[in-house]
Amino acid sequence: MDFKFTEEQVQFREEVKEFVTTEKEKGIFPFGNNCWMHLSSMEFSKEVAKKGLIGIAWPKEHGGRGMGYVDRVIMLEEMFRAGAPVAYHFMADRQVAPGIIHFGSDFLKKEFLSKIRNAEVCFCLLFSEPDAGSDLANCRTTAVEEGDYYIVNGQKVWTSNGHIADYGWALVKTNLDPAVSRYNAFSEMVIDMKSPGVTVRPLINSAGAHSFNEVYFDNVKVPKEYLVGTKDNGFRQIMTNLDFERAGIERLMQNSLTLDSLKDYVKTNDKGGKPLSQDPLIRDSIAKLEIEFEVGKLFIYYVASLLDKGKIPSYEAAMGKTFCTLYEAKLADVATTLMGLPGLLMPGSPEAPCNGMACEDYLWSPSYTLQGGVVEVLKNIVAQRGLKLGRKKK
Amino acid sequence: MDFNFNEEQQMVYDSTKKFFEKETSGTLLRELMEDDKGYSPEVWKKMAELGWMGLLFKEEYGGFEGSFLDFALILEGMGKSAMPSPFLSTVILTGLIIQDNGSEELKKEYLPKIAEGECISTLAFLGRKGLYSKSELELEAKQVNGGYRISGAASFVPYAHVADNILCAAKTTDGKGVTLFMLDGKAPGIETINLHSISGKGVDCLVNFRDVQATPAQIVGEAGKGWEYIEAQWPKVAVALSCECVGGMDRVMELALNHVNERIQFGKPLSALQVVQHMCVDMAMKLETSRHTAHYAAWQINEGLDCTKEAAIAKSWCGEAFKVVTKIGHQLTGGIGFSKEFDLFLYTRNAKKLELLFGDGSFQRAIVADNIGL
Repeated sequence: MDFKFTEEQVQFREEVKEFVTTEKEKGIFPFGNNCWMHLSSMEFSKEVAKKGLIGIAWPKEHGGRGMGYVDRVIMLEEMFRAGAPVAYHFMADRQVAPGIIHFGSDFLKKEFLSKIRNAEVCFCLLFSEPDAGSDLANCRTTAVEEGDYYIVNGQKVWTSNGHIADYGWALVKTNLDPAVSRYNAFSEMVIDMKSPGVTVRPLINSAGAHSFNEVYFDNVKVPKEYLVGTKDNGFRQIMTNLDFERAGIERLMQNSLTLDSLKDYVKTNDKGGKPLSQDPLIRDSIAKLEIEFEVGKLFIYYVASLLDKGKIPSYEAAMGKTFCTLYEAKLADVATTLMGLPGLLMPGSPEAPCNGMACEDYLWSPSYTLQGGVVEVLKNIVAQRGLKLGRKKK
Repeated sequence: MDFNFNEEQQMVYDSTKKFFEKETSGTLLRELMEDDKGYSPEVWKKMAELGWMGLLFKEEYGGFEGSFLDFALILEGMGKSAMPSPFLSTVILTGLIIQDNGSEELKKEYLPKIAEGECISTLAFLGRKGLYSKSELELEAKQVNGGYRISGAASFVPYAHVADNILCAAKTTDGKGVTLFMLDGKAPGIETINLHSISGKGVDCLVNFRDVQATPAQIVGEAGKGWEYIEAQWPKVAVALSCECVGGMDRVMELALNHVNERIQFGKPLSALQVVQHMCVDMAMKLETSRHTAHYAAWQINEGLDCTKEAAIAKSWCGEAFKVVTKIGHQLTGGIGFSKEFDLFLYTRNAKKLELLFGDGSFQRAIVADNIGL
């Protein structure tokens, strides 16, 4: 056991911190909560790219920096602490590029990796469908071979940033033989969102924000070379990828500004002539959040350390995400309650503490335990893969 | 960052585990709960032979200058075995306080004996309300003829009735604060009364002091600084207890998982039911997060870093987690889990005790609140 960060890591953290502070002080980029899903700025992402902070964990031969996952968590910890608007490049950096590096052809590598690294393209994920949420293998969008193309028909939903993305990373059914197991029927492909036949319709979320979309495919032609990896092997590829998706610190820190603003609020507001921060119950509630945050953070670093050792943290990542999103779901609830009635004021309202951040977060919070695998599905993964429960007795 | 054990740590972990598997039995644990002594002298002797008592002491005092991480892993094994002993009260609450603050004479006299397993000792520093607060101390030391006379009561003193020595914290009447005296456990005027606590009949004691005599040479460190000396050990104690919780949780998980995998109802094992699986995952999350949290704080101690906040986080988290895990364990193991034939009750008791010892969740969270500027 050695929990020490290396000299290089300490220095790297400082570099990132300095970069983020400088960019935030410019005052031109939309820093805030939910930054990886909702706050997209190509200009900011280009600054991140210039600093060499996209693709740090990709291997060097693919244009990355060959750094580790712990390094990546360090970077994201500092970015999320400030609420940096990373949405433009985030999905591509986290998931699409590793998927291409893992499974993609030389063509795809050449076509996309340097564009992703330079923040020239924005990707969205096209997985969920109206009848395929937790049961992803129930997807119905089809891709049928026709000459040099696949013809794609169907509908995706809950597509974050579908309205700004240049490309989509899609799960499509390529084997329509009903006798074939549905786990052997899917492929992954890249779809140009500007192709004829792609329609993106906004879906306003219950917090009132436009982050999701519905995406319709009507005879969309996708060149065959946009198929990722092996045909009909998409489901397995996606499962491997999801472990990476679930391993990140974004599930813990998408609201870290709220915890900070709550601490400020109780220090700067009085009750009966005493700062709220001296009220034992308030102190206890905030300390509880702080403890869960620290416990979760340590767990995220643990998962990253497993990735650095070359292990696939299938159940550990699911456990980490479960823990962290449960914390996130609680944070804004506690913050609004501790602030009292001012905690109910929305962004832009007169008198709103911290510009209504806590209230807005509370409205977003039901989504945290849903996105990227609901808590219950993740618990199934931990139970079955981690604790080996529910297997047939020998 | 490396969360894995190195070779030495793995060895310590494995050998501790093996030791307790060999030395502990359900029968022994049940006997000790009813036993007046509350611990097994045979096992205590063997623990000393393994060098555990002196692990943290300097070589010149018969110790091994070992790593606190190794120490933490031993505590984890102890927690897993549920074996009661005066280990913490002797090694940290007396040994380390003397090593860090005591005179050369005191160190030479007591540390080698403790390391050899020849001295059981304990710390008397709580009043009858059991509050971890200087102002609740009920022992007073009067200065008489160049010496001291100590009177009053201390409670929740572990193993005072079998202790060779009692380190006692007393308010001095000169108003200088709290002073620590290293007393003979059988000194005239000391009366120990066994309390019947959640962990048994022979563990905690009420100790009455009636004009117990002490000389200035028995004072540990400087007069008036005793409470600070105790507080300085707080993170170590908190982390040690957290590690015991981790070990305990580990065992409860084993007991519960075995049960749900074996127990057939409705024609299939309980573990085939999703609701049962999710309860097991809730336990596993408590255990795994606690493990890392406790190890991280232990590592901080070993590195000599200030870990007031991390130790408080560990104790608050692990203490409450262990209790929750025993509750889920009971729900999963049903009637058999509620019987004395099944080992779970040992852990249910330990968990409740460990939750409260050296500060419950809210006590620890107050420390965390202080440390984040609230």
